[in-house]
Amino acid sequence: MNTSTYTNGHHVAVQDVETKTAYINGVAYSVQENETILSFVRRHFGNDYVPTLCDAPNLDPYGACRVCSVEVALTANGSRRVQASCHTPVIPDSYIFTDTDRIERLRKNIVELVLTDHPLDCLTCEVNNNCELQTVAARVGIRKVRYPEGKNHLDRQKDLSHAYMTSDFSKCINCSRCVRACDEVQGQLVLSMAGRGFDAHIIKGLDQTFADSDCVSCGACAQACPTSAISDIFESKSVVADKKVRTVCTYCGVGCNLEVAVVNNNIKSIQAPYDAAVNQGHTCLKGRYAFSFYNHPDRLRTPLIKRNGEFQPATWDEAYDYIAEKFTQIKQEYGPDSISGISSARCTNEENYLMQKFFRAVIGTNNIDSCARVCHSPTALGMQRSFGTGAATNSIIDLKYTDCIMVIGANPTDAHPVTGAKLKQFAMKGKPSIVIDPRRTELARYATYHLQLKPGTNVALLNMMLYYIITEGLEDKAFIQNRTEGYDGFKEQILNLNIDELEHITGVDKHLVRSAAITYASAPNAMSFHGLGVTEHSQGTFTVMLIADLAMITGNIGRRGVGVNPLRGQNNVQGAADMGCQPHQGAGYLDAYNPEINKMYSEFYGVPIPIGKGLKIPEMYDAAFAGKLKAIWLMGEDVAQTDPNTQLVVSALNKLELVVVQEIFMTETCKLADVVLPAASFLEKSGTFTNGERRIQRVQKVVEPIEGTKPDGQIMVDIMNRMGFAQPEYHPDTVLQEVSRIVPFFAGVKWNELGNNGKQWPVAPNGNGTEILHTETFKRGLGKFHFAPYKETEETKQHADKYPYIITTNRELEHYNSGTMTRRTNNVKILTEDVLLINPEDAARHFIEEGDMVCVESPRGKVDIKARITTEVKPGIMSTTFHFPELMINNITSSQHDSEALCPEYKVVAANIRKSKGKFKTQPQTV
Amino acid sequence: MSKNLSYLSGRQGLEKNLFEELGTAAAVSGTPERDVMEQLHSDFLVGKANIQGTVSFYDFLKPENKNKKVYVCNGSACEMAGTQGKLKEQLLTTFQPDEIGEMCCLGRCHENSAFNIDKKNYSGGDIEHLAEIVQDTVTTREQYHVECKGTAVLTAPITNVAEYYLLFSDVLQQGADTTLAEIKKSNVRGRGGAGFPMGFKLESCKNTPGDVKYVVCNADEGDPGAYSDRYIMEQRPHALLLGMMITGYVIDARYGVLYIRAEYPESIESVQAAINEVKALGLLGENICDSGFSFDFKIIGAQGAYICGEETALLSSIEGQRPEVRVRPPYPTQEGLFNRPTVVNNVETLACVPFIIKFGGDAYATLGSGKSTGTKLLSLDSYFNRPGIYEVEMGTPLRTAIDELGQGFRQPIKAIHIGGPLGGLVPVSKIDALTIDFESFSQNGFLLGHASFVCIPEQYPIIDYIEHLFRFTAHESCGKCFPCRLGSTRGYELIEKAKGSDYKIERTLMNDLLETLEVGSLCALGGGLPLPVKNALQYFNDELSPYFTS
Repeated sequence: MNTSTYTNGHHVAVQDVETKTAYINGVAYSVQENETILSFVRRHFGNDYVPTLCDAPNLDPYGACRVCSVEVALTANGSRRVQASCHTPVIPDSYIFTDTDRIERLRKNIVELVLTDHPLDCLTCEVNNNCELQTVAARVGIRKVRYPEGKNHLDRQKDLSHAYMTSDFSKCINCSRCVRACDEVQGQLVLSMAGRGFDAHIIKGLDQTFADSDCVSCGACAQACPTSAISDIFESKSVVADKKVRTVCTYCGVGCNLEVAVVNNNIKSIQAPYDAAVNQGHTCLKGRYAFSFYNHPDRLRTPLIKRNGEFQPATWDEAYDYIAEKFTQIKQEYGPDSISGISSARCTNEENYLMQKFFRAVIGTNNIDSCARVCHSPTALGMQRSFGTGAATNSIIDLKYTDCIMVIGANPTDAHPVTGAKLKQFAMKGKPSIVIDPRRTELARYATYHLQLKPGTNVALLNMMLYYIITEGLEDKAFIQNRTEGYDGFKEQILNLNIDELEHITGVDKHLVRSAAITYASAPNAMSFHGLGVTEHSQGTFTVMLIADLAMITGNIGRRGVGVNPLRGQNNVQGAADMGCQPHQGAGYLDAYNPEINKMYSEFYGVPIPIGKGLKIPEMYDAAFAGKLKAIWLMGEDVAQTDPNTQLVVSALNKLELVVVQEIFMTETCKLADVVLPAASFLEKSGTFTNGERRIQRVQKVVEPIEGTKPDGQIMVDIMNRMGFAQPEYHPDTVLQEVSRIVPFFAGVKWNELGNNGKQWPVAPNGNGTEILHTETFKRGLGKFHFAPYKETEETKQHADKYPYIITTNRELEHYNSGTMTRRTNNVKILTEDVLLINPEDAARHFIEEGDMVCVESPRGKVDIKARITTEVKPGIMSTTFHFPELMINNITSSQHDSEALCPEYKVVAANIRKSKGKFKTQPQTV
Repeated sequence: MSKNLSYLSGRQGLEKNLFEELGTAAAVSGTPERDVMEQLHSDFLVGKANIQGTVSFYDFLKPENKNKKVYVCNGSACEMAGTQGKLKEQLLTTFQPDEIGEMCCLGRCHENSAFNIDKKNYSGGDIEHLAEIVQDTVTTREQYHVECKGTAVLTAPITNVAEYYLLFSDVLQQGADTTLAEIKKSNVRGRGGAGFPMGFKLESCKNTPGDVKYVVCNADEGDPGAYSDRYIMEQRPHALLLGMMITGYVIDARYGVLYIRAEYPESIESVQAAINEVKALGLLGENICDSGFSFDFKIIGAQGAYICGEETALLSSIEGQRPEVRVRPPYPTQEGLFNRPTVVNNVETLACVPFIIKFGGDAYATLGSGKSTGTKLLSLDSYFNRPGIYEVEMGTPLRTAIDELGQGFRQPIKAIHIGGPLGGLVPVSKIDALTIDFESFSQNGFLLGHASFVCIPEQYPIIDYIEHLFRFTAHESCGKCFPCRLGSTRGYELIEKAKGSDYKIERTLMNDLLETLEVGSLCALGGGLPLPVKNALQYFNDELSPYFTS
């Protein structure tokens, strides 16, 4: 089942009540329960039938403009009352008249009043021909304004202070759509009306500019505004485009649908379609505005081969020949296992599939991994162990049905903004919400419970919750009995825990933990969400398994409004793993080391497929040092900036004979490469991305690739052919067809049937997708309880005495990961540098003031970071980001990793600090 | 109207109330300082813009209110009495022009010359003692006549407070269902102007599930000319409080909130004193008399905005939101204060409840006429020979009120504006056609409203009165719905222009404007303004026609 209806406010999905009807202009039509007159009329006559000014598809009814008024009578010839259709429910058997003389006069008279305080400069206005006021005025037939000139607001000044957002309130008609979008969609509350009556006007913050306000640049207000009163620098809503292409965002794992306006093969703007199942007309500043990197002068435009330490431009043939020759030679000399590949979760499913196929079928090694390793590999592994499937059990739409949310180690308002906004909307309403995070995140401010634990103690805290659920008798005994195994032993181990000790370890009041546990366990339906604050730890996989335990012990699996829902970091991190970009599992998560499966793969690919154990990313570096690994191919991965312990990574790469990188920009990793291949960006290619809720969506080529570049998939095909493997030309539909024949849960996926909103896997051969997993049985049969005791990370165990502080890492809304793309957009004007969040107590102890440079030293190295003093972090804990290469925070992160999945422990770094003289200070990079 | 803001504000319940905090912050200089607003933004998790939006809405919070020391009443009755020009001159002997602000109706309509200094009201001859007032050495000498013709439901004296509240113990004994049944039987209708049956409201709220519910008293008696609610709050506060407790018990409300207008500082004091008395009797708090029912009162002082008399605007106001009128549904009984089930009733309505419960719904229903049961308080202004508050049974001839109770006019008048600024403009020729009840007024094209009487003297130009009404509406419009926000100002400009130049208003344009306001407005402010204007155009056409195209 795949829902594509978008639901919000008055468009909430409703049941048809067959027997009930009402009359529209004398003819009876079926009425749905709780339907407004406006949605009733629109359902039968289309969206434009009744004109409106203050209504918007994703906002609650507001009743300000009154232009949507209709006449309503209770009997055929009864007296008629004028009512605003947008907020008046349909009374069954009533008689609705949509355009009587009185109604037409009313609409015209209202619009005439609006025009008494509106500039009559349509022809030069930004939104000329795309203006809802203009359309409605034409529709109701205004010819002239009869009122003499009176007070007006035509002299209001424009606000051009912001990197993206603009306003010109002389064009404002006071519909409050922007205010409501900021409130009801984003939950940011930046905008409000101020003053009253005729003087009522929109303000930002305390009557500030966009730049000075708390605006998060999501653009919801601009998209909602019916005129040009609020817009953006791209004039997004009024671009007269040659074409508008529907595609999927390349940034986070939410997978927002985007509608991209193109003029002359140039991208002009991006809007969020209202009928998008994922994002319902909303998106964030990355999705909406951070696209101008695509034709930035820094784009790589020709293959480069490093000769004598210098990159020299090369033709594609030269580059391919160079690589093929080197690979062949290395393979002959050292064997196929001396070559490895790291695929990219930023690339399409098809490209990831081809990459792993290249390594397995052409090179002949299982040394293929992807960046999922450094983010959600523990999720995949942990959930596979507990449930049998390493993917979100439910869908984001389940937020509409849940009674409680628990967000662990995730900061979705920054890292997954559209889902974050939905979670925030939930928490803002005071619904039960639990945030487990060392930082007081945006969501934590609104949550019912914030369990502000010490970084690295997730296991201890979740064990406390499990303990209280058992001691309070809140287990779902029937679920445990019927759907799970291993509970008795698990329970015994939990009950043996020393709660006071765990309280001390986590630093969280046990009574608070108990209350939160009771809240989660008592909710009829509770959903958990988790992010990298769960996985990027030495006990990452165990933490995921404990989250699964919590869901199982409370029966929160297998229906609406429940489940374990990892917030996947990258747009296609789900897909990269699905496609087999990990050493131990081939396409479709089939065991790469199992002889029978190996046989099947060999038959499918038509060549012998290796069965020997492959290397995971950290093991690749070890192998490089050991001299066993000689060459590496990186598709869109900047390991030198993003992998932990930078100096180790750089040394490892330097040991290799051949480093090939496919990239769109000259990253830190590119600089270390022997061959750089210029790739096309997501806007220049087609394929599919799979979002965090397993939704396979179509990425559609918006513009032709920048000259000199090729889609990553094409590069893969080229090199496969060059090395003697006959792989057909890169077309996403044919590759997808191949994928659907080998990946079981893609069985029914067909390019032409994915539509605008995609399908959620597993997709059955008949094409039906799946919103909720494990409804009847778990993928592995019974869900398995696993106990995991808390174990302190070696990082603090070994270094805490000399390095008493803990630095953890986080993300900022404005930048994506290493910032390669977002730093090449105006986002860099909004957030210009990485900072160190430090508690006032710690700052005072080291005489550090706001804005001072702080030298942060770990056992690996040191960096200088600007201090931001805040109570967001507790004393002893600091946090920072790695969006800017100037900082290279990974110089201090460690090589500790998750014991099971080898995901690096970015979240706990033992460190010491001192006020720096700032000698490492660098200028922030700008556009 | 933001659900999120309602929830966020509701998180701190009534203990720490955002709106109250803003009022406290404004008390220092007349408007909250920026750092306080930033602090409230982080304390309540609401947007900075929301705080600023609220502050800028209210007469006594907005930055323009800074350093105001004295306020002159500009309500209709004082305007008609023509006392305020002289009053202002006298004030200028002591205050700077920018220290003098305006308040709309201090409820001193019976003697005028009304002004407010330092949260105290003065009127009549008080201005002659300005020096002592400034030094706070005198109190107002205000006096007005109160009389009841027939059964005293609201004006009956309450001599022994403890005895009076014994009725509440009876209510706790008889249970909520029985109590509600009596209220329904009484058919008491809302006295705030709309005349909605109270029993329906209570039943709807009672049947809506909710952990916490509220009964809210609308004590924002904003209609210039009306001071009957003020009378109840200052002279019969226990009738109101007991009425709220009984209502609260019926719907199982946890709190009774009294939203009292800033223009009635004495009402706030007297109601607070009365609450303290009830508290002393042990009738408030948790588990009252072991009944399982818990109830407390909270007074919220308003900050000057007529629109807050509209119940949904009032709820938003208590929440610290901009008091813009909400759409219905949801109705307050479903999602009211802090999105919880809430009954909002007017002072006079709630004050009827003790009588209904004591003597039975039937006893109340026998008073009055037809669908208008019970009694009604009338507020007579200073054009009457005997101004004051009068309680009459519904159905009493208007002539009786004027001649017998008010003892006639002290000078010739041509019309009475009955029922507030949105009530009908009753020409003296229609007095004998009307009886004091909802039906008689509405059948004759008028509105009983809150039954305030503001007389328009013979020599006062009707065009000036219409201008006054448009100006009032333009000033008080919340600005949410397009017809009222734009139409009230444009209407005012049309009249001003026609008065001040040879410009003639097109009849069709005025008719279109009035129709747009009447059928298009979201609430009764924009929707109600056309009634008195249309009355004026009908009954004073000769006087008005020079301003219109022929």
